[in-house]
Formats: sequence, C-alpha cells, structure tokens
Amino acid sequence: MNEWEIAAAVLGAAIVPCLMVCALSSATAALPALELAGTVLSSALMALCEGFHRQPFVDLALVFALLSVLGALAFARLMEQDL
Amino acid sequence: MSTSHIIATVLLGLGVLLEVVAVLGLSVMRDAFDRLHYVGLAGYGALLIAVAILIRESFSLIGDKALATAALLLLLGPLLVHTTMRSLRTRERGDWRDGIEREMEKS
Repeated sequence: MNEWEIAAAVLGAAIVPCLMVCALSSATAALPALELAGTVLSSALMALCEGFHRQPFVDLALVFALLSVLGALAFARLMEQDL
Repeated sequence: MSTSHIIATVLLGLGVLLEVVAVLGLSVMRDAFDRLHYVGLAGYGALLIAVAILIRESFSLIGDKALATAALLLLLGPLLVHTTMRSLRTRERGDWRDGIEREMEKS
C-alpha cells in the first residue's frame, strides 16, 4: 500500500462516524453529517485516483462532489418544512 | 525520495488530519448548529489533498480535476452551510429572522 491508499483508507474509515450520526441522530442533526460525509468521500476518491494512477477515477470525485452539494442543498431546502 | 514527493506527502497527511478532526468534531458536538462548523473545515482538507496531487502530477488531467473538485467543495461549502443553517432556523421558528434582534441585544 502506498501513502495515497492509506490516506483513502483512513478517509473511508472517517465516514463511519458520519454514518453513525446519520443513523442515530434526528434528521436536523444528521444533515451536517451527510454534508461532511460528501466532502470526505470526495477526498477519498481523489486519493484513490492518485494511489491507483487511474485518471478516470478523478471524474468520479468531481461529479460526486457536485452531486453531494446539490443533494445536500435539496435536503436543506426540504428540511424547512416538517419532513 | 525527492523534495516534491516529501512536500506532497506532508500536504496529504495534513489534509487527512484536517478531515479526521472535522469528523471527530462533528461526532462530539450535540447541536446541529455546532456540527455545521466542521463542514467548512473539511473543505480545506480537500484543498490540501488536491494541492498534494497537483504537486505530484503537475497540471495534468488528474491535477486539474483534483483542483477543480477541491475548489468546488471549498467555494460551495459556505453556501451549503449557510443554506442549511437558515433552513434549520426556519424549521425551528417558522421564520429565520425571528428572534435575531433579541439575540443581538444579548450579545
């Protein structure tokens, strides 16, 4: 394992607490965890791309970063009402 | 091991550390508004990781797109946090402006 793969593994493990918060907290408290998990997963995908030397993987990180932000914005907007 | 390799590894380590600190902070905090502070911090971790990739790969396809990903996360992060905070206040109080004057007088 090179340093990039180790970094990706650490970031992948860091998503677990976010998932725990999402699963165990209320909907309002879980939304920040969802947003943070999106950022951490995008970073993990970038590190994996460099670790495996696969250029197409970085497209996944870019698209995921954009979609996670848009998804979180949609959740935040819907959260204004009583879901 | 070249100098650029060492710099990239240090930046990678710092980026991962920032993101782990953000996750720990989010897990420890109890209130949703306190937790929102750590979403912005993780964006800087992504930027450090992208700069580490850029140092390794220079302005190649991977380097450019990694930088674009980090810029996206960093620039849209505050917008996302602000929107979330506003939505949560609206959910709690009916209108996000409700009680602002009272809170400003207190502080």
